[in-house]
Amino acid sequence: MELICVGLNHRTAPVEVRELFAVAPSKLGEAAADLRAKIDVEEAVVISTCNRTEIYVSGEESSIVQLEEMLGGAEHCYHRRKMDAAVHLCRVASGLDSMVLGETEIFGQVKDAYQAALQAGVTRGVLNRLFQRTFSIGKKVRTETGIQEGATSIGNVAVDLAEKIFGHLKDSEVMILGAGEMSRVTAQSLQSRGARSIFVANRSYDRALDLAQQMNGHAVRFEDWQLVLAQVDVVIGSTGAPHTIVHKEHVEEVRRKRKYRPLFFIDIAVPRDIDPAVAEIEEVYLYDIDTLEQIANEARVRRAKQIEVCELMIREELEKAKLPGL
Amino acid sequence: MHVGADMDRTLLLISTLLALAGAVWGAVSVHRGSRTWWTLVLIGGAFVAQLGFLELRGEMRGACPLRDRGEILVFLAWSLTLFYLVVGRPYRLSLVGLFTAPVVVLFQALALWPGVMTLQPERSVGVDAWREAHAAVSVLSYGAFALAAVTGVMFLVLDRQLKDHHLQSGLFRNLPPVRELLAAVKRLLWIGYGLLTFGIVAGAMMSHRGGWSHLIAAVAVWVFYGGLLLWQQWRGVTGRRLSLLAMVFFLLSLGVFALV
Repeated sequence: MELICVGLNHRTAPVEVRELFAVAPSKLGEAAADLRAKIDVEEAVVISTCNRTEIYVSGEESSIVQLEEMLGGAEHCYHRRKMDAAVHLCRVASGLDSMVLGETEIFGQVKDAYQAALQAGVTRGVLNRLFQRTFSIGKKVRTETGIQEGATSIGNVAVDLAEKIFGHLKDSEVMILGAGEMSRVTAQSLQSRGARSIFVANRSYDRALDLAQQMNGHAVRFEDWQLVLAQVDVVIGSTGAPHTIVHKEHVEEVRRKRKYRPLFFIDIAVPRDIDPAVAEIEEVYLYDIDTLEQIANEARVRRAKQIEVCELMIREELEKAKLPGL
Repeated sequence: MHVGADMDRTLLLISTLLALAGAVWGAVSVHRGSRTWWTLVLIGGAFVAQLGFLELRGEMRGACPLRDRGEILVFLAWSLTLFYLVVGRPYRLSLVGLFTAPVVVLFQALALWPGVMTLQPERSVGVDAWREAHAAVSVLSYGAFALAAVTGVMFLVLDRQLKDHHLQSGLFRNLPPVRELLAAVKRLLWIGYGLLTFGIVAGAMMSHRGGWSHLIAAVAVWVFYGGLLLWQQWRGVTGRRLSLLAMVFFLLSLGVFALV
């Protein structure tokens, strides 16, 4: 009996194929048990996320073809054996194989998949030791390398910057100019980290009301946004206006009322909503979409440079472990 | 007496070296982008050695060891370290240690400079309680002002990095948020101001053998800091101005010690 992995992911299969073989989290244990009943394998774990469905078994090499057939044939599948399969699992759990390099959610998903198989009674010596070792290696990779350092999306960069300026966001208020999708996502990220209240100002008041309701916030008539500027800490600009909306004099007018508190402008509109001259005001920090994207990209590059270090660590740890089935 | 006189400077030298090690180790860690407890441990060690120095000098003087410029500098360094340990740590301002240690090293190196500190201190006769209270509490207040100035420097560094979008350094990652730094500057200024107020009241009550110029200078410092705090409280002031003024006022206020 040897360790075998057969799967498909976002690189090998389009979403319309992946969704055919996706397994709901509550059915993972059942799926692993079914698989063991149908194919001659001793142990099985099924991992299923939006980007991948993978089957790990302890069985004979001949079972690979059957497993591939269960996932729609060899066209969209890949398979790994022995040490390569173990390395692959560790790469998956460490976020090295994810669409967003270094993302953390996959670690929990792999853990849940293993727990489901364990509870279904379809794991034994090979997979139990492999998965337990994988979790310790995954933790080591994440804590001892820079694979999850820095924000890799515009929304997360904006949230990290807001926390660098204001610390805990529970005392911070946010105003969105424009009710677009990007501003909604960014504001939701700020809200998820504790932002106290959200104000939405939009040329169409109905859309402002709609978005404000979705976010438990307050709608503001577009002509009144300057009144709200006096009280908020973060302003997200994302209108479709062909010219800048916020000018230096708008901020100058409310500085005294704001008692010169720090003010963070996130301009994700193209053309820009915030006049760059606003950044000349002492307490203002202004980041436009290019700057945010550049910061996110730098983090992605830094993470990519860590892949080799992580893979070396994974191989060393697996060789030390001397696991059965490899 | 000779043993004590040698021992006090030995303790001061140990304290200075520990603070220097804390500064260097802290800078290396920040450059690597990692956090370290060693800065705190080393500065804690420097604090203990400072206490030993002040204890020995106090025994030699038979009074609070604030009779020459060397002692004042060490007391100031001790006060700064105390405020870092008491105020800096609970408010998650861990990096304050890195910025505090070089100031401590500078003050103590100046105190160790030949001629700055009396090698054989004379024993005081007829201790005036008001004078002792004035000296100790006033220097303690300057420790708070010093740490406010240090925290102001940290704000200015972070502010520049955020303004220029230079976000990759280990220093940037380890600096506390803007709002926490500014809150710490304000808090330290208020603590220092309260202590200085008490120090000046005690100064007005003590006997004035050497004239009033020192007390007048202290009152001028009190007026400057009071003006800044009132301005900040009622009208508001930008973080950059608050930090710059905290630094400038502290440097100017050191002139008070020239009139001791």
